Amino acid sequence: MFISKMSLPRRTFLRGMGVTLALPLLDAMVPAATALARTAAKPVRRLGFVYVPNGAVMPSWQPAGDGALTELSRSLSPLAPFQDQVIVPIGLSQKQAEALGDGNGEHSRAGTVWLSGVHPKETEAADVRNGTTADQIAAQHIGGDTPLTSLELAMEQTYLIGNCDNGYSCVYTNSISWRSPTSPNPHETNPRIVFQRMFGDGGSPEQRLAQLREDRSILDWVTADIADLQKRLGAADRGSVSEYLDSVREIERRIQVSERQHGESALELPDRPVGVPESYDEHAKLMFDLLAVAFKADITRVFVFTLGKEQTNRAYPELGVNAAHHAVSHHQHDPIKFEQGAKVNQYHIGLTAHFLNALKATADGDGTLLDHSLVLHGGGISDANEHSHIDLPLVMIGGAGGTKGGRILRHSKDTPMNNLLVSMLDRVGVRTDRFGDATGALPLEPLSGV
Amino acid sequence: MVDSGIPRCTIGGYVSVQAGSVGPKGRRWLARTITVLAVPAMVWHLGASVWAAPPQEPVAATAPSSATGPAGVSDHAALLTRYCVTCHNESLQARGTVPLELETADLATVTTDAELWEKVIRKLRTGSMPPAGRPRPEAAATHAFASWLETEIDRAAAARPNPGRTEPLHRLNRTEYQNAIRDLLALNIDAATLVPADDQSYGFDNIAGVLKVSPTLLERYMSAAREVSRLAVGASSMAPAGETFRVVSDLSQYQHRDGLPFGTRGGMTVTYNFPRDGDYDIKLELLDLFAGAPIREPHQLEVSVDGNRVTTFPLAPPDTSTDQGVAYNTGPDELQVRVPVNAGPRTVTATFIKKTDALAESIRQPFARPHGEGDYLLYQPHLGTITVTGPFNATGADDTPARRRIFVCRPAGPDDEPGCARQILSTLARRAYRRPVAETDLEPLLAFYAEGRRDGGFDVGIERALRALLVSPDFLFRVVSDPPGSEPGIPYRLTDLELASRIAFFLWSSLPDDELLDEAAQGRLREPAQVERQVRRMLADPRSEALAKNFAGQWLRLRNISGALPSDVLFPDFGESLRKDFVRETELFFDSIIRDDRPITDLLTADHTFLNERLAKHYGVAGVYGSDFRRVTLADPNRRGLLGQGSILTVTSYPDRTSPVGRGKWVLENVLGTPPPPPPPNVPELEPAAETGTVLAMRERMEQHRANPVCASCHRVMDPLGLALENFDAVGRWRPTMPGGGVIDATGTMPDGTAFDGPADLRGLLVTNPEQFATVVTEKLLTYALGRGVEHYDGPAVRRITRDAAAHDFGLASLVVGVVHSTPFQMRLAKFDSAE
Repeated sequence: MFISKMSLPRRTFLRGMGVTLALPLLDAMVPAATALARTAAKPVRRLGFVYVPNGAVMPSWQPAGDGALTELSRSLSPLAPFQDQVIVPIGLSQKQAEALGDGNGEHSRAGTVWLSGVHPKETEAADVRNGTTADQIAAQHIGGDTPLTSLELAMEQTYLIGNCDNGYSCVYTNSISWRSPTSPNPHETNPRIVFQRMFGDGGSPEQRLAQLREDRSILDWVTADIADLQKRLGAADRGSVSEYLDSVREIERRIQVSERQHGESALELPDRPVGVPESYDEHAKLMFDLLAVAFKADITRVFVFTLGKEQTNRAYPELGVNAAHHAVSHHQHDPIKFEQGAKVNQYHIGLTAHFLNALKATADGDGTLLDHSLVLHGGGISDANEHSHIDLPLVMIGGAGGTKGGRILRHSKDTPMNNLLVSMLDRVGVRTDRFGDATGALPLEPLSGV
Repeated sequence: MVDSGIPRCTIGGYVSVQAGSVGPKGRRWLARTITVLAVPAMVWHLGASVWAAPPQEPVAATAPSSATGPAGVSDHAALLTRYCVTCHNESLQARGTVPLELETADLATVTTDAELWEKVIRKLRTGSMPPAGRPRPEAAATHAFASWLETEIDRAAAARPNPGRTEPLHRLNRTEYQNAIRDLLALNIDAATLVPADDQSYGFDNIAGVLKVSPTLLERYMSAAREVSRLAVGASSMAPAGETFRVVSDLSQYQHRDGLPFGTRGGMTVTYNFPRDGDYDIKLELLDLFAGAPIREPHQLEVSVDGNRVTTFPLAPPDTSTDQGVAYNTGPDELQVRVPVNAGPRTVTATFIKKTDALAESIRQPFARPHGEGDYLLYQPHLGTITVTGPFNATGADDTPARRRIFVCRPAGPDDEPGCARQILSTLARRAYRRPVAETDLEPLLAFYAEGRRDGGFDVGIERALRALLVSPDFLFRVVSDPPGSEPGIPYRLTDLELASRIAFFLWSSLPDDELLDEAAQGRLREPAQVERQVRRMLADPRSEALAKNFAGQWLRLRNISGALPSDVLFPDFGESLRKDFVRETELFFDSIIRDDRPITDLLTADHTFLNERLAKHYGVAGVYGSDFRRVTLADPNRRGLLGQGSILTVTSYPDRTSPVGRGKWVLENVLGTPPPPPPPNVPELEPAAETGTVLAMRERMEQHRANPVCASCHRVMDPLGLALENFDAVGRWRPTMPGGGVIDATGTMPDGTAFDGPADLRGLLVTNPEQFATVVTEKLLTYALGRGVEHYDGPAVRRITRDAAAHDFGLASLVVGVVHSTPFQMRLAKFDSAE
């Protein structure tokens, strides 16, 4: 959708067609960004979730000790610049990702349960079912004032066939974000399309306002057309268009927000990405750069980003890992595979650190964007050899809602990960007492004396 | 090995204990039963008196044989008791040792328990039960039993067909959207840059149930409609915009590239839709492969549009005394030219004028992959990107294929405009909505036209109406609705128009053309002969390449090639060139089988394929020169058929080695139709050691795993099939030995115990039972054609299709025709109002 308040100098637009686009995105922003205008009294709070597939080498992930985080583990070492805002929860589990009487689908369930805590229905047909995920609960509460209620990004295309577990629709592997128990969100992989969703097709503010109005009149007609379609369908099938109707309403809302914000302030747009960069590293950083801009310009306050899909066979030759990540993750206690797996884990954390850096570098109210955000980085499998969903690899960074970091939170392995999600939602101002298999909020406050 | 409390049921010499878990497959079936079978189960009770006529003559009941008499039934019951119930009994099922029990199953009520018996038929027909190593009945007795079961079920289905129920709304997927735009507007777009990818189920991305709508998706469709209508009509003014095309960096540019002018080296040609007549900037960037290593001598970089040279950029070696760290002395910003271009699709080419090969640097043969390890410092510039930006000083759009297609009339003056707009929009709407249009369809479109006409003239009005049309649910969805007065749970026939869309999206992944729509509108698609004539006509049309690209591309997983990243250390010659060649070969091959209506077994055994020089060299086939693909006869029997093609051999491998398990699984799924169940929960997958050069270790290691009874029941069947292909490396090259010199042992046995040695042997055995392969292909085709999973109640239709095709030697096109004639394709169950 369009951010009509942003003016687009023609010169910038034309200059932006080259390939060198990744790094200076944030620098391209002028200080008039909306985020800066927020008052310290009521900072905007933001939530991000970064997913990594195929489990983790746990000994390299989890630091020793309890309480104060004195030394980061090897995998988490790229988080050193933010160590005082890092919380490492240990012992949290997503038991709803276990088979519980269903067949093998450990990978399918791992991703899709990560933010829901609900056991998904085993099916390849239309009747997919999961729980509404934490990011979407947040989006429904704190996404209403931004043009995009949330952003869902991914690194891998969904067209690869046969990478999903038998018996499970690929929807489960592809989507870690669900708007409702039956509506998975598509994840966008192309930075150019992400850019267009954020900034539209460009043009002057007036042109873009005109575009919005045209869109609105088309949507009015589509709504009427859907009503006709409903009449044509039998009574029993009328519900099947409700998803369409809901989508129309959501876009109408976005247009309203954009129109309302029209002319508020001017922001120089970053360069429009040309497509999907070939290098994984460049691609991932560009996606994170766009997310940083989205936070900074208050285009959205919630995102999920999957750095890889479960069972991905991507190799990381740039790290010296020439074997497929999925095969490496089934380590069979081979020290070489442990080493390769740990390299990948650490590398992914480094990418998130790239994003956190951008947040930390941006002033926001009485602090920085990072002070008013919470980012959870982790996965739905711990030891991939056993496809275990117990004691998951997780790390949370940021200070939203007064969260104090620099700590290790050690819990019994019966503790649902959803308890952490409940606390994260709480920190961004969303109260939920019933969410998936949560049994309550996970205490995030430091114990007295720590 | 196993506690003595469990009755021993050995499978293949191993005790089959599923680690406390039922074969997941079985449980899945049960889960499905609850949701899906609720409908058909009630059909039997409600449907008897008010049955709709089936679309074709009922399946002729097989002539009574001895097997169908009462004596036959008792024979079958005895067989069941003796060979099946030993393991498939209540007690072992309760323990989770076997997924289903046949102890209480009653042969008198086969038709009311068709779901169970369809599974039994499958196991008998594929020879996978009883398992090897257990006593088996005579083949004739097995055959008679399976035939009897089939006849019972088919006869009941002929009297009361159950076509199943497809979703009422079927959204166009990304490929269909792209093709629909092509056929509606004569405009080629890359939908991947406009709308998100679709989820798949059942191995395909056109499954109606998972083609959901989300705000994100609708937003993309809105945005795509704006862009497409602007490109097609070119009327409204637009801010200059840019599009960058990137040369994949592992595409070799050392030699002449396919489709580029002779006498050139490397570079790229792209087709760009110039939206309006005007000036455009063409800007080039070079690939920085060489980390600043300077070029050694001058090069010429030529830019042309539609073959006409626009300019030539000279690249000179830098003066190393002053230009430290630059590769050439022309700054990147200077590789840009502004040129006037008329609207329409045109090719933009940038390529290097070829120099003599007598360069000092090219004494050594470079690897095909430019950034492969080692030999890459060749100091030759490579093209990185072409960016087209514009239009500047646009003057409108005159003559483009899209405008010729859209403007079926041109108003001579203002008075003609309303009539002409009506004519244009009704023509577009009929094609886009795939049905005759009514006044109520046209009114809103004309309103959008009038609004645009006011703002910017006639063409802008058409553009505005087109933009609305492209987000109409009538365009974006295929709608199939229960006819008024339909009885819940009773099947009805699709209307001719619904059928026309179903046929077109099956064969072309696109809209019906005018001829098919006319036939449908005149009610002629009720006649089977007329339908077949249309299907054969459409198969002969170039648009049926969609079957090779989309159907075969997904069934055979060709699409996964784009994600295949073989290690550039181990496979320095693998790169984008070969990736493209692989896919092209298999598409052309599949296409040739379907166009010639060759037997489906030819997919595995045909002695021809399609090669260009690069691929021929990769395969070690002599005498193929140049970059064009041509039909080649394969002398080497090992290389024949799909199992000898680089595409399939690569997508079933890991980046650094082959995966015999992956290849074996591929054969089980796609040829034998007996996909192995997934490994039981929380058992590590069977991954042989990653070290290369240790073939014995790998085979031994796999055998070690197979000693584990939990793993053995499947891997015993799966692994030998994959090991038979070990002479093909992870990118499909033939290798006599393993990389370290280890011996390759390609011997093994089929699931039924027949021994083989190597790929040619395996291939021969795979086609001894063409019905089995035909069943697999039919089920895949039916899934793709209907956009839903194939369920047990489709069993009779699948058998009917394969049986009919048997009369045509299992011709691939005949199977396609059979699918179109089939009950689930032609009919649909009406929905219960109260359901769900």
